[in-house]
Amino acid sequence: MNRFPVIEMKGISKRFPGVIANDNISFRVYPGEIHALLGENGAGKSTLMSILAGLYRPDSGTIKVKGEVIRLHSPRKALEEGIGMIYQHFRLVNNFTVAENIVLGSKHVNWGIKQERIQKETREISHNYGLEINPAVRVNQLSLGEQQRVEILKMLYRGCDILIMDEPTTVLTPGEVKELFQVLRIMSRQGKSIVLITHKLNEVMEIADYVTVLRRGKVVGDDRIENLDEGILTRMMVAREVVYSQAQRDSSPGGVILNVDNLKIQGDRGNIAVHEVSFNLRRGEIMAIAGVAGNGQRELVEALAGLRKAVSGSIEYEGEEIKHYDAKSRIALGINMVPEDRIGMGLVPNLSVIDNSILRSYYKEEFYSGWFLNYNKIRSYTDRIINEYNIVLSDSNHPVNYLSGGNLQKLLLGREIDQKPRVLLASYPIRGLDVAAAEGVYDLLLKERDKGTAILLVLEDLDDIFRIADRVAVMYQGFIRKILDVEKTSIDEIGSIMVGTELAGV
Amino acid sequence: MKLKKFTALILLAMLLSVFVVGCGNDAKTESEQPAEQSEAIKVGWVYIGVPGDYGWTYAHDQGRKYLEAEIPGVESIILENVPEGADAERSFEQLAQEGCSIIFGTSFGYGDAMLAVAEKYPDIKFMHATGLQTADNLSTYFGRIYQARYLSGMVAGAMTTNNQLGYVAAFPIPEVVRGINAFTLGAQSVNPDAKVKVVWTNTWFDPAKEKEAAKSLLEAGCDVIAQHQDTTEPQVAAEEAGKYCVGYNTDMHDFAPEGNLTSPIWNWGPYYVNTIQAVIDGTWASEAYWGGIDEEIVDLAPISDKVPAAIVEQVEAKKEALKSKQWDVFTGPIIAQDGTEKAAEGQVLTDTEMLSMDWFVAGVEGSL
Amino acid sequence: MLKLKLIRRENESTMARLIVPVLSIIMAFGCGWIFLALSGYLPAVVFAKMFNGALGSPYAISETIVKAVPLMVAGLAISLAFRMKLWNIGAEGQIYMGAFAASGMALALGNGSPYVIIPIMMIAAFAAGALWGLVPGLLKAYWQVNETIITLMLNYVAIYWVDYLVFGPWKDPNSMGFPLTPIFSPAAQLPTWGDSRVHLGLLLAGIIAIVFYLVVQYTRWGYEVRVMGESSQAAKYAGMNVAKNIMLVMMVSGGIAGIAGMIEVAGITHRLQQGVSPGYGYTAIIVAWLARLNPFAIIIVAFLFGALLVGGFAVQIVGVSFSITQILQGTVLFFLLAGEIFLRYRLVLAREEAV
Repeated sequence: MNRFPVIEMKGISKRFPGVIANDNISFRVYPGEIHALLGENGAGKSTLMSILAGLYRPDSGTIKVKGEVIRLHSPRKALEEGIGMIYQHFRLVNNFTVAENIVLGSKHVNWGIKQERIQKETREISHNYGLEINPAVRVNQLSLGEQQRVEILKMLYRGCDILIMDEPTTVLTPGEVKELFQVLRIMSRQGKSIVLITHKLNEVMEIADYVTVLRRGKVVGDDRIENLDEGILTRMMVAREVVYSQAQRDSSPGGVILNVDNLKIQGDRGNIAVHEVSFNLRRGEIMAIAGVAGNGQRELVEALAGLRKAVSGSIEYEGEEIKHYDAKSRIALGINMVPEDRIGMGLVPNLSVIDNSILRSYYKEEFYSGWFLNYNKIRSYTDRIINEYNIVLSDSNHPVNYLSGGNLQKLLLGREIDQKPRVLLASYPIRGLDVAAAEGVYDLLLKERDKGTAILLVLEDLDDIFRIADRVAVMYQGFIRKILDVEKTSIDEIGSIMVGTELAGV
Repeated sequence: MKLKKFTALILLAMLLSVFVVGCGNDAKTESEQPAEQSEAIKVGWVYIGVPGDYGWTYAHDQGRKYLEAEIPGVESIILENVPEGADAERSFEQLAQEGCSIIFGTSFGYGDAMLAVAEKYPDIKFMHATGLQTADNLSTYFGRIYQARYLSGMVAGAMTTNNQLGYVAAFPIPEVVRGINAFTLGAQSVNPDAKVKVVWTNTWFDPAKEKEAAKSLLEAGCDVIAQHQDTTEPQVAAEEAGKYCVGYNTDMHDFAPEGNLTSPIWNWGPYYVNTIQAVIDGTWASEAYWGGIDEEIVDLAPISDKVPAAIVEQVEAKKEALKSKQWDVFTGPIIAQDGTEKAAEGQVLTDTEMLSMDWFVAGVEGSL
Repeated sequence: MLKLKLIRRENESTMARLIVPVLSIIMAFGCGWIFLALSGYLPAVVFAKMFNGALGSPYAISETIVKAVPLMVAGLAISLAFRMKLWNIGAEGQIYMGAFAASGMALALGNGSPYVIIPIMMIAAFAAGALWGLVPGLLKAYWQVNETIITLMLNYVAIYWVDYLVFGPWKDPNSMGFPLTPIFSPAAQLPTWGDSRVHLGLLLAGIIAIVFYLVVQYTRWGYEVRVMGESSQAAKYAGMNVAKNIMLVMMVSGGIAGIAGMIEVAGITHRLQQGVSPGYGYTAIIVAWLARLNPFAIIIVAFLFGALLVGGFAVQIVGVSFSITQILQGTVLFFLLAGEIFLRYRLVLAREEAV
C-alpha cells in the first residue's frame, strides 16, 4: 500500500448549537483503501464525512488532499478534488434516464445532451467496474440497489478517486450487499479509496482494510482490520468508563398489563418493519427498548399506541385484544404515548401552549360548554399542567415553538401523565436535553413507575438504560433479539446484540 | 429553498418588466384639452373590447374620431373592455354621473344595464348598438351588414376552388345567423355548389380561440375563411395557411395582404354625427335604427385585385341594386337547411322575420 | 458562490405587519406616479380619480362593496381549505356550480315568497359547491390525489357546464338566441340597500365571516382543522380522522364558494349568464393570502381589492386607457405581494453551501 495518504484530516472540530459533533478528530485514508468509519448514531461520523465532502466547514482543523492543504468550501470544490459522497437518500432525478442522471451537473456537459454519446460513456464506465446497468432506463424503474449503482457511476463519471458512502447497505438486500462489496473491491484494486460510514460490525469485518471508531465526536480507536475483532470494536463503540448508579426503587413490578404476541408491523415503505415480536409489560416496571435507530422501534411503539396497523399477531391489554382499537380508544383505556418527534407529532407547531395542552383530550366533556370549547376551563387546565410539571414559559398563548427542548418534553410528558396512564410509551424522551432537563424527565418517569404505571421506553444511550430501566429488549432488524434483566447484563452484551453480533459467553 | 429562490427570481423579473413596459410607452401623450366652445357636449362610450382590436371596437372608435373631427364641441369619455356582467351597470352609471348628455353602449349584452340606468337618468340619452329594447331615452341602432355580407359571399363563392367556405362565428344569435345566411346566399348566387361550414366560438373577442376555430376550418378543407368576430386572427390563420379570407368590421386587408379578398365594414362616423347633431338641435327622439348600405353605415371594403374583374362587376351591380332598394338579400325563393321554404318566389322577408332569424339556409353546414 | 436566499422569519412584529402593506402601497403609487408621468398623464389627476371612483362618494363606495362581496365570500371559502393546507384553487368552479344550482331553483320555483325561495337557492348553491369540493376531497383523502390539479380542472368542467345550460336548455326564448337565462322573479332576487346595488350578500358575507371565526376558534371541529392544518402527524396522534376532515373541509369550502355564486346571480345579474364570475375564485386566493386566512381581515382586504378594481375602471374616465389601468393595478398587487414576502421571509446574502 502507498505510503502517502490521499486524505489527511487533522484536528477537525465542528460544533452545532449545544453539541460538539466532532472534537479534534484526525483521520487518514490511503489510496486503494477501504476504510470503515464506525460508531453509534450521533457519534459524529456523518458530520466528519460531510466536512470532507464540502457540505460543512469545520470550526478548526486542516484537510490535506493528496498532500496539499485544501479548503473544501463547497461540494463542487470537493468533487473537483476527487471526493464524492453518496448519501443514504439518493440524489437522483427519478424521471431521467440512468445516463442523464450520470452526466447531470457534470462539467463535460453544457447545453445539449446527446443521448447516444452519454449512453456509450455510461456503458464504458459501468463495464470497467462491473456495475452493469442499462443506461437508457429511467431511474424510477430501478431498485434501490440499482439506484445506488447509478450514484456510484455518477461519482466515477466525475472522476472521483475518494468515494464516501453513508450506510450503503441499509437499503440493500443481502444479495445486493454482496454485489456492492464486489464492486468496491474492484474499485479499490484500481486505486480508488472508499470510506464506508457504518455501524454494522460484520460488514466491517468482511470488507474493510482499516477501521476508525468514533464515539461522542472523538476518535476512540483506529487500526488495521487484522488487529481487530468484533469484540474489540463493540467495546470501542459502546463501552464507557463512567460508573453509573442504578435508580433506587421502592416497589417491585406487579402483574402483566400488556401482552404482545407475534406482532408483525409494516413500515412506511411497505416493508415489514417489525417481525413477529412477543413480550409483555408489567405494572410498575420500566422496560427499555435498545437498538440502533431504524430497527423497528418507531413502528412498534406506533402500533402499540394505535397509530399504525399491525399486520398480524395480538396486543392484549388486561387480557383484552386491542389490536383493532384506534388511537382514541387506546387513550381511553389508559395507553398514552410520547412520540419521538416532539414538535410535529407530539405537539402542534404554531399552535399555542394552551391549544397543545388538550391535543389528546380535546374531545372530552370537561373542555366544553355546549358547542364551544370552553377556553376558561382549558386555560386553567393548562396552568395546572404548567405548575405541576414546572414548565417555564413566558406566555401560554404563545406558539409552542417558543419553548426550549426540556420544557417541550415536560409539557408533552406532563400532558400524557396527567391523563393517568396505565401504560406509558415514550420514545427518546431525553434526546437533545441537557443534564438538568434529562434529570427532570427521569424523575417524572420514575415517579410514574412507582405509581404502578407500566412504562416502555425507547432509548439509544446504553447508560440511560442502566440508569432507569428494569428490563431491556434489544431490537435488531425488526426482531426483538433478547429481553434481558438489566441487573444481569452488561453494556457489552447489549451493545453486541444491538449491532447484530452476539458474542458468545458474555 | 429552491422554490423560494425561484420565487425571488420571478419577482425580480416582474419588477424589471414593469419598468421596461413603463419606459416603452412614454410616446403616447394624450392630453385632451376640451375646446372651450359654447356647444360643448359630453359623450360617453362603453366599449366591449379595446380599440386596438382592429375589429368591432376599432370601427366604433373610428366613428367616434370622425364625430370629434366633425363637431368640435364633443368631449368623449371612454370606458374600454367593460364586460357584460356586473361591471356594465356601474360603467353606464359612472358616465351618467360624469355629466354625459348621451351614452353609447356597443354590445348586445349591455341591454339590462342600459335599461336600468336609462330609467334612473331620464334626461340622458342612451344608444344601444345591436340592442332590442328601446325606451323614451334609449335608442337602438344597427346596420344592415347582411347586405355587405351577401356581397362578400359573392366574392368568396367565386374564389373557392373546392366549394368549401369556412365561417368563424361568435354566438348563435339572429344577428350572426343572418350574416351567415346572407354570405351563403351571396356565394351560391355565383356558385350554386358552394357550401359554408360554421364553427361557433361563443365569444366576440378572443384572439386565440378565433384563430383556433379558423384553423379547424382550414383543416377541414375550407379554402376561404369568413368571420363574425372582433379580431383579425381568423384572417391571420388563413394567410398563414395560404388560403383566402374575408374580413369583418374594418378593412382587414393589411392583416392578410395575400389572402384577404374583401371585408364587410362598418362606417359609424356619419351616423354618430347625425345623432349628436340631433341632440344639439334638440331633435333627438328614441328610435330603432337599422340603416342599410344606401345610408353608407355599412359597406364593402375594396376588393382584392386577385378577384377577376367580371366578378367585381357583378358585385358592383348587386351593390347598386341594394342601394337603389330595388332588391334585398332575403328575396325568395329561400329554402332552409331542413328543406322548408322560408320565402316563396319574389317574397321578401320582413324586418321582424330577419331580426328573429333562427334557421340556416340550405348550403350551410352547421347547427344552431 | 454568493446567492440570495429567502429565509422564513421566526416572528414578525405586529408593527411590521401594519407598516409593510402601507409602505408597499405607497411605493406602488410612487412607481405608478413615475410611470403615468412618463406616459404623459397627470398622475395627481389619475390617482384622485382612482380614489374618487372607488371611495369618493356613497355611490362609489356602494359599487366597491358590490365588487367586493363575491371576493369576501370566495376568500372565506378558500381560507378555510387553506387553513388545512388543502390547496383549493377550485373556488371559481364552485362559484359557477353554486350559481348554476341557485339559478336552477330560481327558474324552477318561479315566483313565490322570497323567504322560501332565497333560502332554497342558498341551500342548493351550498350543496352544489360542496359537491364540487367533495370530489377532490374524496380523491385526496383516500388516494392522495393532488387536490390542486383536480380543483383546477373541475373549474373548467363547471364553467363549460354553465355555458352549456345558457346556450342550450336554459336559454331564454325571448333573448333572441343570446346565451342568457330568463330574469329571475323578484322573489329570487336579493333585496338591495336603497337604490344602490349593495345587496343582502354583504350581510351574508359578514355572517359567514363571524361563523367561520367562531367555528374555527371555538369548536371541536375547528380545533381539529387547526391541528390538521399544522401537522397531519399530530392530528393522527391526537386520534383525529384526517380523511374524514379533508372531505368535510373541502365540502364546506366548496359550499361557501357556491354561496358566492348564488349571491352573484341573485344579487347582481338576476339571471345566469356566461362569465358569472370574471375570475373571482382566483382573485380571492390573493385576497385570502394577503389576509393571512383571517376571516375579518378577508372582509377588509376584499373591500380594498374591490376599490382597486372599481377605481381602475374609473380612471378611464380621465382618459387613461384600459391597459394602463391594468398596469397600475398590477403594480399595486406586485408591491403588496412583494412586501408580504419580505415580511414573511428574510433575504440573506449567503455563500452557497449545499448543492
